[in-house]
Order: sequence, then C-alpha cells, then structure tokens
Amino acid sequence: MSVRDTIRALRVCLWCLLFVVMEVGLYLSYCGHDARFHYLTHFFVGAATALMVMSIVAVGRRRPVPYPLVWLGAAHLVAMFPDFLFTAGTAHYWWMDLFLGHISTHFVPGRNLTWYLVFLATLGLYLLVLSRLPDRSRAAGPG
Amino acid sequence: MVWVVAAVVLGVLLLIAQLTRGPLDDPDQAYQRPGILDLAVLPEPAAPVTADIPQPGRPAIVFFDRSATLPALCHALPDTGLGADADLVIVTPAADIGCGAIPVVEDPDGRLADAYGMRAPAAGGPPVGYAVIDAQSRIRYRTLDPTVTAELSEVRTMLEAL
Repeated sequence: MSVRDTIRALRVCLWCLLFVVMEVGLYLSYCGHDARFHYLTHFFVGAATALMVMSIVAVGRRRPVPYPLVWLGAAHLVAMFPDFLFTAGTAHYWWMDLFLGHISTHFVPGRNLTWYLVFLATLGLYLLVLSRLPDRSRAAGPG
Repeated sequence: MVWVVAAVVLGVLLLIAQLTRGPLDDPDQAYQRPGILDLAVLPEPAAPVTADIPQPGRPAIVFFDRSATLPALCHALPDTGLGADADLVIVTPAADIGCGAIPVVEDPDGRLADAYGMRAPAAGGPPVGYAVIDAQSRIRYRTLDPTVTAELSEVRTMLEAL
C-alpha cells in the first residue's frame, strides 16, 4: 500500500469515526427524550434517500461516491432538522415535510418496519451498483 | 461487510425500540408526542373539565395523570410558568391528592379521557399525557406522554404554537 493509499484509508476511517460518533450521540439524545421511534424514522428515511442518490451518482460517474457515510449522515441531519427547531421551541408544521417528509413519514403503514425494509432495499441497490462498476479498486469508504 | 453489520445493528435498534416500549406509551408511537397541532381529526370542541375550564378567550392545558406520578408533576408545574399563559387542570382516576392552586378533577370511569380522545396506553388503563386547548375552546393537540414531567418545555412549545 502506497503512502497515498494509506492517507486515503485513514481519511475514510476518520469520516467513519465521525459518522459513528455523531449517530451514537444523536441516538442517545433521542433516547434521553424517550424518542427512539423518531430517531429511527429519520435515520431510515435519510439513509434510504442518500443511498438512492449515491446509487444514481455512482452509475453516472461510473465510480463510487467518495465518503459514503458522509452522505448518509448529511441526509439524516436534513431529515431530522425540524427536531432541532423543536428543541429550540418551534413546534412542527406540515411544511416541515420539505425535510424528507419529516412529519408524514411517521405515518406510513408499517411505521418504522416499513422504513427499515426501504433502507435495506436501497442498501441492496447501492451494493449492486458498486458490484457492477468497472473499477472497484477506486472505491472509497467501507463495504 | 461493514454495510451488512450496519444493517443488522439498525435492525437490532429497531427491535430494542419495540421491546423497550413502556406500559404507558402509545401502542402506535407515531401518535406519541408528534409535536404538530391539528393532527388527524383535530381541532375538536373541548368538553368542560371544570365549570370554567376551558373558557373562551384563554388557552388551557388538560393534564391526564395517575396518582403515583401526580406529585412530581405538581412539583414541576409551578416552575414552568405555564399557569400564567393558560388555565391548567389535572385529570386523574382518583382525585385523592391535591395540587396546590391547580384543580385536580376525578375521572374514575375515564369519561373525560374519552371525551378528549386520549389514546389508551399500551398496557391499558387511564392515560398519562395532556391536551392543549386554544382560546376558542378547541382541542388542538393531544398526546400520551409518560415522561411529561421531564418534558414540560414541550408543553410550552405546543402552547406557544397556538
């Protein structure tokens, strides 16, 4: 492994670590407010959206997206953004569905189990896309 | 491989969220503390709890609680200042405990809880939560909330959203 490859791997690991720390922190924060259900809804919706976009981008560029966990983390933050506002004292409104369906995603039939299955499906799609890309040696990120 | 582990971990978290649901929680968590006014069939007219609550021109908050947790709620409420902006009233199955200046109304057969459309907790029995009534005496928000004493800032948020 060259120095360049090592630096790239360390950079990816750093992003992975940041992602894990952020998600654990968010999960514990929601748990502290007795709101695990809401954490999971927004995570699954955000992650599924990110995986869809990542798949499309990867197909278009014919190579994997860089730092995939950053995409997931960013999409999760978008999906849960109204909860930051709520913590600051702003109630929820229907227009907050602009944030990846922040309100209405809670009410789909099957609730979080449905979103978990959607997440698994989009993850499967992304892994399928990765497996069919011509040059996997340039893949960035875990997996 | 990392993706597969992440998917399994998330599945476990989903299972944990399901298994750790408390007896006082809403069986459908989507309706517990949604944080949005006028959800589903709301607003609806609010039934009288006392002779002057709710009253036109002034919001009200109707807390539904049980005797075991009522002292903690009564201890916490004065510090919130909610009483300055809304009429407060507490509904319990047995009004055997007072709550200072806040009226406590007995609802042994759950008629008031039903009238306010409070959902039944996962383990059944009387609800623990609250309803927010606007100045037109309409129910604008209602939720089960077993941790309401620790989350009174949320009640303030919903009151200010009226």
